Amino acid sequence: MHIDIVLTAWQMLIVKLLVILTLVPLVSLVGGYALHKELAHLQHRLGPMYPGGFHGVGQTLADGIKFILKEDIVPANADKTVFKLAPALIYVPAILLYLVIPIDKHLIVEDLDVGIFYILAIGAVAILGTLMAGWSSANKYALLGALRAAAQLIAYELPIVLTAAVVAMLAGTMSVVGIVEAQNWPFVLWPPGIGLVAFLVFVTGAMAEMTMPPFDMPVAESEIITGAFTEYTGMRFIFSFFGAEMAHLVAYGAIAATLFLGGYKPIVPWGPLEHIPGVIWFVVKVVLMFFVMIWARFTWPRLREDQLQKFAWKFLIPVSLLLILATAAWILYAPESLWTR
Amino acid sequence: MVDQQDRTVKWPEDVAREMSEGRFDTAEMVLNVGPQHPATHGVFRLLATIDGEVLIDAEPVIGYMHRGYEKLVEARDYRQITNLVSRMDWLSGISNELPMWMALEKLMEIEVPLRAQYMRVIMVEMNRILNHLMFFASFGAELGAITPTFYAFREREDIQFALEMATGGRMHFGYMRAGGLKEDVPKGFFAQALKGVRQVIARLDQYENLLIGNEIYKQRTLGVGVLSQDMAYSYGVTGPIARGSGIDMDVRKDDPYLVYDHFDFLVHTAPNGDAFDRFWVLLHEVVESARIVEQAIEGIPSGPVLGKVPRVIQAPKGEVYVRTENPLGELGFYLISDGDRRPYRMKIRTPSYNNVSVLPPVLKNTFVSDMIAILGSFFFVLGDIDR
Amino acid sequence: MDSIDERPISESQASPSNGDVAAAGPDYASRHQLARERRHTFGIGLLKGMAVTIKHLFKHNTVIQYPDEVQDLSPRTRGVIALKEENCTVCMLCARECPDWCIYIDSHKETLPPKRAGGRQRKRNVLDRFAIDYALCMYCGICVEVCPYDALFWSREFEYAEFDIRELTHEKERLSDWMQTVLPPPALEEGALLPGQPDAPAVAAGAAGPGSAQRPSPPSAGTAAAERPEQAMRPPAAAATAAPTADAATQSQQQAGETQAAASSAAPATPTEEKAPAGATAETKGPDTKEPEAIASSTEAASPSPTDERARETSTAERSTSTEPATSGDSEAPAVPEVARGPNVEVPSEAPRPVALERTEDPEAVYQDVLKDQLDKGSSPQVAEARAKVARVKAERGIKRAPTPVETDKMVPSAPTKGQPPEPEPSGAPEAQDIEPDPGPVAPEGGDA
Repeated sequence: MHIDIVLTAWQMLIVKLLVILTLVPLVSLVGGYALHKELAHLQHRLGPMYPGGFHGVGQTLADGIKFILKEDIVPANADKTVFKLAPALIYVPAILLYLVIPIDKHLIVEDLDVGIFYILAIGAVAILGTLMAGWSSANKYALLGALRAAAQLIAYELPIVLTAAVVAMLAGTMSVVGIVEAQNWPFVLWPPGIGLVAFLVFVTGAMAEMTMPPFDMPVAESEIITGAFTEYTGMRFIFSFFGAEMAHLVAYGAIAATLFLGGYKPIVPWGPLEHIPGVIWFVVKVVLMFFVMIWARFTWPRLREDQLQKFAWKFLIPVSLLLILATAAWILYAPESLWTR
Repeated sequence: MVDQQDRTVKWPEDVAREMSEGRFDTAEMVLNVGPQHPATHGVFRLLATIDGEVLIDAEPVIGYMHRGYEKLVEARDYRQITNLVSRMDWLSGISNELPMWMALEKLMEIEVPLRAQYMRVIMVEMNRILNHLMFFASFGAELGAITPTFYAFREREDIQFALEMATGGRMHFGYMRAGGLKEDVPKGFFAQALKGVRQVIARLDQYENLLIGNEIYKQRTLGVGVLSQDMAYSYGVTGPIARGSGIDMDVRKDDPYLVYDHFDFLVHTAPNGDAFDRFWVLLHEVVESARIVEQAIEGIPSGPVLGKVPRVIQAPKGEVYVRTENPLGELGFYLISDGDRRPYRMKIRTPSYNNVSVLPPVLKNTFVSDMIAILGSFFFVLGDIDR
Repeated sequence: MDSIDERPISESQASPSNGDVAAAGPDYASRHQLARERRHTFGIGLLKGMAVTIKHLFKHNTVIQYPDEVQDLSPRTRGVIALKEENCTVCMLCARECPDWCIYIDSHKETLPPKRAGGRQRKRNVLDRFAIDYALCMYCGICVEVCPYDALFWSREFEYAEFDIRELTHEKERLSDWMQTVLPPPALEEGALLPGQPDAPAVAAGAAGPGSAQRPSPPSAGTAAAERPEQAMRPPAAAATAAPTADAATQSQQQAGETQAAASSAAPATPTEEKAPAGATAETKGPDTKEPEAIASSTEAASPSPTDERARETSTAERSTSTEPATSGDSEAPAVPEVARGPNVEVPSEAPRPVALERTEDPEAVYQDVLKDQLDKGSSPQVAEARAKVARVKAERGIKRAPTPVETDKMVPSAPTKGQPPEPEPSGAPEAQDIEPDPGPVAPEGGDA
């Protein structure tokens, strides 16, 4: 899928950015709708049925419009600049994540050489926004939430980084497209064991980083009332909370699919499957990831803050370190015939 | 944000010095939980002093929903009171009506027909199931698993529909009268009631798989909010909470009223007194209640549902105390009558009040997140506390 | 849903469904200990939970899509209180008994000419205003319960939210409109007995009114039920004097009642009031007054058979004589609408029915009607549209659905619809059709005469 219009590099970049800028809010909307519906049916309900005519397809759009039209309240004692800036700092990194996700081999905004590095770095910026929001709100609940979020970031960023390192080691590159190209067999299936465990650790860390249940102590709506976003209303709330959450959810689903499930490549290297376009493979994998994450998310209770930390430091991080060792051993000692790339 | 008054600004040097001295003092802050807070089941307020994530002290503040029922009933006749008291604990309306009428019937020496007694048992036990399901499900929601809530409401619906068939109400039934019931139940009530309770039992494994057997749930409840047996005794805690602390106490068994001695049911206790045990007991009580309903429907005699009562419900002079096993604990009505159509004084001993008063010692030195789990596991209804 | 969900509880317990809780047996304590100790089950508990939720993804939903589908609420549902205005004698019992005093009643006294020449002039109360403030009402139903003349009924309609709290005060016209939605009382469950009734195996519908116990009439006055409808139908002035007459009739009917048992087992066809007091239900004499008769009687009612009833009427001389003056009083009563009345009191009871069952109006037409009506009334467009939608849905359901199988053997009296001939009643129970009171000539002229 080459785009044959002759554009200068700058013009090309602008077009790509525009596409991403429209795509990400769209993803938020569609993801929000999918979440509504999946959640509802898991809970033996129907979910939205009226807006938009068919099975409530317009629900998230209507919600978005409603929130945007709502009054934007800034608390009197808030640090106003920071308070207003924080949602942007949460939502923009979510958009930036999409820049390096390859939808197909050439359908990518920029195939950075340090793609994974970029993802990890940008993914962590959003927490800064959360921290800003929590501190500037002048609200105790928001403060608690923000500090929990910060603590959680530190704890769960490590497993993510380490498992991403496993992938980079296996692929021999940090370019995202390079990683996908390295997966004739997706990493989750091959090398045996290592890929699967790394995948599970990565998804767990990603869920924690998105503050999703069971790791949603920082937002915990029943105890600290969406934590850092307690004081937000209207558009700032929808962008910093639901919008960013959806964008992150889809983005991390896509990243996990790219790093472990072979991205736009077929799930197994088998003839007929190769003919299905990469975009379809990619979308199927992302939808699958999305589905499973929401499924788990609304089934389980949340962990307590200390248990959350224990889980990260005492379980996930040692496991990821062991994984790195195992990967190194695999690379060094596994016979060449077992290598698939 | 930290309170302006008691904020102590610390510099890293101070912190380093404190740590080298083996202490690390941090500023405490008072977190005001409620009156409008999703985990408090109403307008309950908790003044929590927290140090980081640790709750150092907690002080429950009640009274936001005080409606003056104990005074109000002095200006209402008994039939009106039955509709008032059903609004105390809005999750178990009909269980609240029962002891009030029992007190009156005791004073007036009215004999309640057997069928009415059976019917009362059926209604009260169905109400208990409704109440227990509600608390169990909402506890899941407080811990972050919102799915069981919806399942529980699905199960509640059938039972509630049965109650609505008979009484016309879903929460506030107003169905009992001196000497029996307002009217007999309509055709199809028994079938609907059986369907409702059997469904609950058949689907209990879903709750169990979703919560009781879930590792995260266990982590959140085991050893959390331990209420010792002594403390339960000294604070007058009753009901599933007391039984969760190993106190084998159930008015239905200890002091049988109505026809509870006709039925075969168990009183479940659990020895540890933590949140897990409280919900364990709660869920088992659902089973026992369902069994009672089944037995009662099978064995219900035919006959009138209203005994011979005088035209004017007018209690003779005297006083009486009657207690029953409300879903949340022991509900007592101390009724003093001066011979009027209204009570002279009616003191209501509600279970939630005692259950909540034990909160401060239990909440001490727990985590903020545990506070939510503990509040959820000390089943209380705000209307029942404040009346 | 699943049939498996309705096994007896003992079987459920025996079932191997994970079973810790459902099987509460003697090994309770050990299972409890086990449940506590199985703390680290390596995520099996988590996966079990996920299995539960994923199963629900593929189950059929039980959700009722409310504005499009309406739950079939029980006839006893306390939705809204309907007023049968001509039964009201302004005795103020309801207003006095109301726990939160939300019933407002105004009346004035009217002097009526003496019945006989040279007799005493009679005074009667005329209802000027009867309003219930639903913003205050606590829906306890005490007013319905205490009403001695059966002027108040519960209707299961609940869709009368307003944007203005003042509009929640329903004046008597609106309360009368609700009469059309009142359902007949449901039949009672097996084994229901009336107080004082010795040991009849089964009992017909709607008999165990609570008022019965408080009514002075002893249970032996059971045969008095037959005149109970008349009493209810009687104009207020006559009703005031009715009690003694009724008692007299009771005495004289005591023996007649026994022989009349068969006839009065068909009495369901008579317009017994919804809350015919238990102590006074004669139609329960027949031991098997159950569904067959109920159906028969309703079909009977469907056929225009006042003759039938009249025949039965005349079989008891006492009754017709005792009620005769009442009817004559009727014609003078200004509050009673001009419904065609036969020589005996039973006739008017046929006229008022809950709204026509087989209303085959086009739902769209209903929608437009209601919409226009609402807009004319000054409702906001949204409200009007919402109400019109509800009306449409109900109209659709009314066509599609078979009549609700409520076993009853009693007709429900309701507001007479002036100028609108009574529609024959099909077998089965009447069904409330429309929450929107028909704009038609429903409300009787009230007390403004």
